[in-house]
Amino acid sequence: MSSANRTVGHIVSSSSGISSNLLHMSSISSDETCSKRASFVTQSSGILRSTAFREYMKENNTSSWCTDSLSDFLDYAENSPVQSSNLQIMSSEDVGKPNDWQDWADQLIADDDGASPNWNEILVDTPVADQHPKMEYYVRKPSKTTLSLPLNTPVPASPGEACTPMTPSSCGSGSQSKPRMRWTPELHEVFMEAVNKLGGSESATPKGVLKLMKVEGLTIYHVKSHLQKYRTAKYKPESSSQGPSEKKPTLMQDLPPLDFKTSSEITEALRLQVEVQKKLHEQLEIQKNLQRRIEEQGRYLQMIFEKQCKFQPSSSTLDKSETELTNEISSSPNQSETEPGPIKLGLTSSEKQQEADYSESQPSKLAKLNESSSLEL
Amino acid sequence: MKFGKRLKQHVQETLPGWRDMYLNYKGLKKLVRLIASSSEDEFVYLLDNELDKFNSFFIEQEEDFIIRHKELQQRIKRVIENDPSSQEEYENEMARIKKDIVDFHGEMVLLVNYSNINYTGMTKILKKYDKRTGGFLRLPFIQKVLEQPFFTTELISKLVKECETIIDELFPTMVVAEKMAKAVGTEAREGIFRNIVVALLTMKEIRKGSSTHSHFSLPILDLRDPELIRSFQLNSTIHII
Repeated sequence: MSSANRTVGHIVSSSSGISSNLLHMSSISSDETCSKRASFVTQSSGILRSTAFREYMKENNTSSWCTDSLSDFLDYAENSPVQSSNLQIMSSEDVGKPNDWQDWADQLIADDDGASPNWNEILVDTPVADQHPKMEYYVRKPSKTTLSLPLNTPVPASPGEACTPMTPSSCGSGSQSKPRMRWTPELHEVFMEAVNKLGGSESATPKGVLKLMKVEGLTIYHVKSHLQKYRTAKYKPESSSQGPSEKKPTLMQDLPPLDFKTSSEITEALRLQVEVQKKLHEQLEIQKNLQRRIEEQGRYLQMIFEKQCKFQPSSSTLDKSETELTNEISSSPNQSETEPGPIKLGLTSSEKQQEADYSESQPSKLAKLNESSSLEL
Repeated sequence: MKFGKRLKQHVQETLPGWRDMYLNYKGLKKLVRLIASSSEDEFVYLLDNELDKFNSFFIEQEEDFIIRHKELQQRIKRVIENDPSSQEEYENEMARIKKDIVDFHGEMVLLVNYSNINYTGMTKILKKYDKRTGGFLRLPFIQKVLEQPFFTTELISKLVKECETIIDELFPTMVVAEKMAKAVGTEAREGIFRNIVVALLTMKEIRKGSSTHSHFSLPILDLRDPELIRSFQLNSTIHII
């Protein structure tokens, strides 16, 4: 990796994406902002101009909302040639324009038809320098779920609060660090109790339900959309909740060439379906567990490798052969506790058979894992 | 390219509302081919977008499933407790419930499948990227992916198992597949069941031995029940092997 890349990597490492990092930077003092933003933008202009990136955006300009912001990235790169000499100008313009964010957010929210807002129009009045951070943060298409959008508004407030009581898993999401609300059956029970107290799904209001539920971090938007889903589920039969464009699944009786009239035959067909579905699910679970274990071992090896580098800098670890390394691993007894064992699966015969395909002696397995994890030795 | 083809086929066959929600494998693969190593950040940016897409969709679906799961249970309770006016009505409603719950089970499994396919595609893309650029993006990035909501499917799996319990209670024990196999080749209905079969076949294809198959590839899928698969036909381009 080039050193230029390293610099950028360092800057974005603290948060999980370019965009959230921009946001973070813009909220700190202007002095720091100047220097950090300067170096970042110098890097990013190089990034944004890469033709491969543009090609990708052009070809994938369908439902992906990110194209809106990214096409703006590109415009930005074109409109303002970011050379180091211009940086001073940019940063001074930037300071003191935080108010525009809300306007942009509102414009985005107001755009109801779901089509991408005309960015050029929106942006034409504002200084070029401002475009980056605001665009990135409020980019989610208004036509998409409203669930995460309102959560964006309290930007600096710890988003973690919004999800702690509700999400069992971590809140850190893919890129833009929007905390996502994740419902659980227990929470749904609380919801239903509240709704029932208020006289049922039709008469209950989001505000009332929210109040009754008394769940910290839950917002009225969460409740509102959940209530909507709840109403839909109650008053439409199960089959129509498969999606608007889904054809109505034909009942067994309706198939012309077949004579499925007896309920036992229908039951048979359904049983068959369940068996197949169970099979798929079983395979999926096996697959997922395997995938986790593979990565666990990869990470473990990486850790080992790093330790080696630390403690034996003189022994030119880069030249160490794979076999040397794995021998070291297998010979050190104290590592057996932390070492994830050979990939062990469940009890069914199909799983056992697959495990048999899989099993090898541990050291050579680790060596191969090394390879597949692209570790350089 | 094999995975790409299978993914494309799978997406075409999948439930309409889901088609845009899958990994943009083809696009990203193209990008990897063209990309220079200095644009790692933009690549990461795109991948993060994909993750966001998965997470949003998955969480939405999960929420729906939680609600519908509860509703199904209540529906069953209602039918059993309220003695309906006629036996026929009872049977009709039960038949409908049975069908609905089996389809519901299938839909949830399809969501788990969705999660899996996208994960697999991600690792492949990352591997390609590292290979092409000599970078080390894959390992740390995949650790992040493992933590994502869309990959933590434990809740859905739990609902699936609960569904199975209910199904077992509803359906009297019967002689199973033989009868079906004898019956005229059933046409797998449009909708859920068809998609399940497609998913299974796709999975089998993806895990088939390939040129890069190693001890750390996923084991080859052996659908043990040939009758199960042969006893129905799909009127599509997917052939039963």
